[in-house]
Amino acid sequence: MNPKDINLPGYEIPEELKHVIAITALDRLYNWGRRSSVWPLMFGLACCAIEMIATQAARYDLARFGMEVMRPTPRQADLMIVAGTVTKKMVPAIVRLYNQMPEPKYVLAMGACASSGGPFKEGYNVVAGIDKFLPVDVYVPGCPPTPQALINGLILLQKKIDKESIKQVRWYRKGPDSVAIPIPVLGPDLIDTRRIPDIKAHTLSSTSKTDDQS
Amino acid sequence: MYGKGLLKGLSVTLSRFFYTYWDDLVWFWRRITKGKRRYYSPEGIAHRSSKEARGIFTVQYPEEKLPVPEEFRYLPFLVYDEGLDGTKEIRCTSCGICAKVCPPQCIWIVRSTDPATGRPRPQPAEFYIDADICMNCGLCAEFCPFDAIKMDHDYEMASYTRTLLNLDRLLKPASYYASIRPLNAAREEEARKAKLASKAAKAEAKAA
Repeated sequence: MNPKDINLPGYEIPEELKHVIAITALDRLYNWGRRSSVWPLMFGLACCAIEMIATQAARYDLARFGMEVMRPTPRQADLMIVAGTVTKKMVPAIVRLYNQMPEPKYVLAMGACASSGGPFKEGYNVVAGIDKFLPVDVYVPGCPPTPQALINGLILLQKKIDKESIKQVRWYRKGPDSVAIPIPVLGPDLIDTRRIPDIKAHTLSSTSKTDDQS
Repeated sequence: MYGKGLLKGLSVTLSRFFYTYWDDLVWFWRRITKGKRRYYSPEGIAHRSSKEARGIFTVQYPEEKLPVPEEFRYLPFLVYDEGLDGTKEIRCTSCGICAKVCPPQCIWIVRSTDPATGRPRPQPAEFYIDADICMNCGLCAEFCPFDAIKMDHDYEMASYTRTLLNLDRLLKPASYYASIRPLNAAREEEARKAKLASKAAKAEAKAA
């Protein structure tokens, strides 16, 4: 990387504030380190995962962006690529994985299903967009997005990281977190697994009743 | 046996590694003699996508892009014809067939009405496509009777928020459509001319 890119702060300062504000080069160095080693969490949910694998492989080669290390554990991951259809059964596991990731963490919704539910948006078993449960940073449309489209989204994420300042990032501030950790709310978008025995008993009782009547 | 298969596999990787540098030398020679470059040039990309590529075949994406085939489809866009005085003649008549056939139901159309008479006009007042729901199936383009909605080649659509494409972002000139899908555009243009000619012939026969 060109050392000028790290040392020169590329922020625009208004003329009247030039003697008040000083932007250190630390931000640039810090962000350069973070943007060049965004490690994604290794999991795929549906067909978008195949494109994610293709992006990872030799022709598109995410190693050029420092993202080649797909971590199998959330403790070491920085980025969650939600690649595929999020079912109601899967969403508690995904939110749990997200909560286990250390700060700073980012979420990229890859494809129509993860962004909005896509063709299954009114389905009985699919969450209409992972942004109902996780704070999504970058949306990549497409069904599925081609590897180049995914890389375009990852570059957008790098640009977002570049704009962050070490003085303002939430994860180094004292006091309670400004962003509430999302907890899956049991509701129409989620099956309450604790109620499965009740539902089963109810279903069985109704069938036995109809049997009696017949 | 005895790890021979392992060594064989590793030798493939190793030979690719060496071929990468050998290719560098070959392309350096081509650059001197023919002025062809290995990277950031169409012939370089074509070589790396071909069977002859032996070493590295990575496409350096943001700087160079893999050419997409003509039938590649991403999000839809609306075609307009450029009028003589620079007006946009939108082909769409807001008939709503695309919205009806759309499997994930991501198209919203608002019909425009004539302010003088209050009657509907064959023009969309608003046209929305939720890019994050669209599944790129191309049924809208397939079913459109006016060749008004077509599938785009532009895949760089990532954004920080949900993308709702409105009329401003959807409208693209017919020349753009002809540039990304030359064969399809020529075929449709021919069909349209033939239709007009047959119509004129019929009218003539009726008059005579």
